[in-house]
Amino acid sequence: MDLIDNILKGERAAIAKAITLVESSKESDQQVSRQMISELIKKPGKSIRVGFSGPPGVGKSTFIESFGSYLVSQNYKLGILAIDPSSQITGGSILGDKTRMVEISKNPNTFIRSTPSRGSLGGISMGTREASIILDAAGYDFIFIETVGVGQSEIVASNLVDIFTLIVGPGSGDELQGIKKGITEYADIFIVNKNDGELKIEASKTAADYKSALSYYKKLDELEKQVLLVSAIEQTGMEDVIKTINQIIDQNKLKGIFEERRANQLEYWIEEEVKNIITSDITKRLSSKGNISKYSEKVMKNEMSMFEAVETITKDTLK
Amino acid sequence: MTNKSNNGFNTWQKSFEKETKKNFNDAKSETDEGIDIKPVYTKDDIENFSFVENNSLPGQWPYTRGPKASMYTNRPWTIRQYAGFSTAEESNEFYKKNLESGQKGLSVAFDLPTHRGYDSDDDLVMGDVGKAGVAIDTVEDMKILFNNIPLDQMSVSMTMNGAVLPVLASFIVAGEEQGVDRSLLSGTIQNDILKEFMVRNTYIYPPEPSMKIVADIIEFTSKEMPKFNSISISGYHMQEAGADNVLELAYTLADGMEYVRAAMSKGLDVDDFAPRLSFFFAIGTDFFMEIAKLRAARTLWAKIMKDFGAKNERSLILRTHCQTSGVSLTEKDPYNNIIRTSYEALSAILGGTQSLHTNSYDEAIALPTDESARIARNTQLILQNETGVTKTVDPLAGSYFVENLTEELSKKAWDIITEIEELGGMTKAVKAGIPKLKIEESATKKQAKVDSGSRVVVGVNKYKNPKEPSVDVRVIDNNRVRDDQIKKIQAIKESRDTTAVEKALANLTNAAKDETNLLAPCIEAIKLRATVGEVSKALEQVYGRHFAKSLSVSGVYGKHFEGDQEFMKVENKIKEFENLNGRRPRVLVVKMGQDGHDRGAKIVATSFADMGFDVDMGPLFQSPKDVAKDAIENDVHAIGVSTLAAGHKTLVPELMKGLKEIDPKSKIIVFVGGIIPEQDYEFLYENNVSAIFGPGSNIIESAEKVIDLISDNLSKV
Ligand code: B12
Ligand SMILES: Nc1nc2c(ncn2[C@@H]2O[C@H](COP(=O)(O)OP(=O)(O)OP(=O)(O)O)[C@@H](O)[C@H]2O)c(=O)[nH]1
Ligand SMILES: [Mg+2]
Repeated sequence: MDLIDNILKGERAAIAKAITLVESSKESDQQVSRQMISELIKKPGKSIRVGFSGPPGVGKSTFIESFGSYLVSQNYKLGILAIDPSSQITGGSILGDKTRMVEISKNPNTFIRSTPSRGSLGGISMGTREASIILDAAGYDFIFIETVGVGQSEIVASNLVDIFTLIVGPGSGDELQGIKKGITEYADIFIVNKNDGELKIEASKTAADYKSALSYYKKLDELEKQVLLVSAIEQTGMEDVIKTINQIIDQNKLKGIFEERRANQLEYWIEEEVKNIITSDITKRLSSKGNISKYSEKVMKNEMSMFEAVETITKDTLK
Repeated sequence: MTNKSNNGFNTWQKSFEKETKKNFNDAKSETDEGIDIKPVYTKDDIENFSFVENNSLPGQWPYTRGPKASMYTNRPWTIRQYAGFSTAEESNEFYKKNLESGQKGLSVAFDLPTHRGYDSDDDLVMGDVGKAGVAIDTVEDMKILFNNIPLDQMSVSMTMNGAVLPVLASFIVAGEEQGVDRSLLSGTIQNDILKEFMVRNTYIYPPEPSMKIVADIIEFTSKEMPKFNSISISGYHMQEAGADNVLELAYTLADGMEYVRAAMSKGLDVDDFAPRLSFFFAIGTDFFMEIAKLRAARTLWAKIMKDFGAKNERSLILRTHCQTSGVSLTEKDPYNNIIRTSYEALSAILGGTQSLHTNSYDEAIALPTDESARIARNTQLILQNETGVTKTVDPLAGSYFVENLTEELSKKAWDIITEIEELGGMTKAVKAGIPKLKIEESATKKQAKVDSGSRVVVGVNKYKNPKEPSVDVRVIDNNRVRDDQIKKIQAIKESRDTTAVEKALANLTNAAKDETNLLAPCIEAIKLRATVGEVSKALEQVYGRHFAKSLSVSGVYGKHFEGDQEFMKVENKIKEFENLNGRRPRVLVVKMGQDGHDRGAKIVATSFADMGFDVDMGPLFQSPKDVAKDAIENDVHAIGVSTLAAGHKTLVPELMKGLKEIDPKSKIIVFVGGIIPEQDYEFLYENNVSAIFGPGSNIIESAEKVIDLISDNLSKV
């Protein structure tokens, strides 16, 4: 495929079109996309995939602008996949990330793609994983994935990346009581943003709260989880972030954790794909038979129980 | 006994109900502000006021009836037409002609590069030099601008906010080099940065240092320029951006409070500067509401200033300039605009403004021609000389309706002011983006009313003129202006003492690092012929440049069209499109160059999203090259360029070039919306623009055309 060559050459338009393909809900696009991804996977690049998640408005985009500027100034090539939470259930969506990434979006060493989340689970859109494979093959050193932290999204997002970062704001330490143990397993780095001006004291306090909470949950064989203080607006703390990322990557590689994670993620991916195919197949079968209403009527008339109906339909569908 | 219980009223009500077949209590109409207007007002409606005082007199507390006792009976309002274009030479000629024809004060419109602190030779401003105002790069330009206009006699208003320091410094130096001491200069500098962050978009630095600059100017002028208004606290731009009158009133006064605090924090006593605070409001088409707004503004400001501890009576008095509403004027059937402007002008006068700008009928097409500017000016001359409106002060005082409306507006505005104060004041609110969002919401509602036809705009959505007149437009050759300016800059840079300039600029940078008042070191640098751009950059080194983070309203437009056939037709087309193409139609809406008019772009973006488009919203001030990168990376189907400040002939071809440079096979199509004179359509089509949507375009119809053109384009292989 021409497209693949052009992606490997790093051509912007080709990368963009390829991402469109992997995001497309059209069956024929999905076929092309699968072929393409199978090819690209054979030509892995060297990128490190970093996830940034956190509640709305903590400054994820601003941080990415700030941290990203720092990275491109060090001559790294940076791909950014921003999953925009602003999508609505009915209408379309307004993708406003670029208004928060004004400087890096101009830089020739960046590629920034926004995707409406469409309310899909965890704010991760269909195709995010594939998009990062494309950017990897195209030669980007870092791939950032920005997602809003709601519900289960951390888990899904952390399954796409080598390093998962949670960005929080000053004052969010209070919420720690409510934070489940789970989160410490998924996040590798905790960044307390807005460490500037009047918020400084609060930010330090929050960082301390996180640190103590984290040490409480720490497993024996685990690395100490890092809590970093930054100000995206004043662009402070950026060296620490890159240093920490590199450190964790190096250590993980050394200990084989890096590869292990990627293997687990592959497993997860395969499982997901299988589940997807089965679900959509079953959904199709269900609706083509269209006999649910027939059974529900029976249930209404007390001719059979709800559970009998379920059982019968299931058997029928799986036939 | 109250009116309502007396027989007279009951009889009236019966007759009313019989005539209208409506229950009196249901016969109200709601304004944009959410105020219910009744079909009749009586004595009952002017009782129990908490703001308005019934028996007050003009020039007396609470100044509802006017800042002065005699008002226009002694001296009519000042006819002050806002103007400026191309070079200082040409604007100077224009000013002199206007003064000969009866205009009384000057009001300078600067071009966008000047506003944003860029010199004309900066690459970032290629399409913008001299286009939407006059280009000022150095004090030499400023001197030319006022050539043969004695600055000790002429009051000069300058709309300048972002680059307020170098521009005010240039004005002071130009005066001095004309032989006029700064203490004799009279006029106004707008110097109102908060509304820039909200709606006008010619900010340079972030909010905090910007507020410090505002305070510096208030401090400096209060000490050295006693005849000069240090600030013009402006609601005008808010209404033009879509705010209703309550929002305009509340935000303006809340801004005013913030400036008072900023000045007091410099150690000034409130009475040292408050008499030199001035205001600026828009006057739209809602005739009585606008009158009431001016009366309410004075009433509330007096109360606010009293609370600040002002003792000097002049500190309590709100003096204002007004401008008729540009956004009420239409591109279609443009002579209607003369009529609209006349009513608005009358409204401003009945409200008691101190000076007035009336717009030209070609407002929605381009900068005014000599001819259209003459008619606009004559609108005021006729009011002053032929109608008798100057003979009685505040003639509507005592009107049950107008007094009641004044009170209602005051109450509603006061609620919002209180809310903002509780939030910590306007700087905080502005930083959080709340006022901007509220204004955009209000603007979107207005658009929905016009597009649905529930609000009639004559000549646009009803009573259309089958034979649209074609009007002359002022054409500005920005390339020529830019070349002229660049030559002048070069000549100055060659002849000035470079080391001295550099030292002065370094001084300025240092001054920005501490709390020193910045105007004096600016004056030094400007005197030595530092450019506006150099001075701005010297400060930028310390403060940085501000990039606005844009939020968007959502669902406001769509809500208005629930169940609407046309709207659903577009929605369905989009669903079909998605089924066919595996994704929704995706459009990137952009603003390029220094054009900060974002009302149209934001409204189009939110409405399109409500219909089902995926809309990428670009930041302000993008270069065509950046837009091309953005569009290609996001693989959008189309780019919608919104352009109002006349940069389109430079910027659109650049965009086309940028797209082809990244992807020679790019199939992204380009639409253009905004202020495009008919004469430029052909040029744009020749440059492969797919469609043009001018002012007054119905957004649902536009969306349908956009989706059709995108589909067509995709089917072409
Ligand atoms: C509102 C307004 C302002 C507001 C802007 C507020 C804001 N945040 O947007 C304020 C008061 C701040 C302002 C300031 C200035 N303004 Co002004 N302003 C206007 C005004 C009166 C209305 C524009 C408007 O918002 N209309 C309402 C919106 C909804 O309409 P619209 O943008 O045209 O969009 C519609 C269509 O065009 C189309 N459309 C537009 N974009 C797109 C995109 C797509 C994809 C699609 C499908 C459709 C589409 O659909 C929309 C819905 O119908 C116009 C004159 C006029 N009547 O048009 C002058 C006007 C644009 N301003 C002008 C000038 C000169 C200025 C200043 C530069 C003056 C100065 N020297 O200081 C300043 C600086 C502003 C800046 N930073 O750029 C000039 C420009 C001259 C020219 N082009 O030759 C105009 C034409 C007035 C004039 N005749 O002098 N302005
Ligand atoms: N004081 C301070 N404010 C910040 C900082 N970073 C971001 N902000 C502000 O926080 C707000 C939200 O920033 P964004 O970057 O849009 O946040 P986000 O997390 O990407 O938001 P969503 O994408 O909407 O979830 C903006 O008003 C920023 O100016 C910071 O370091 N310090
Ligand atoms: Mg974001």
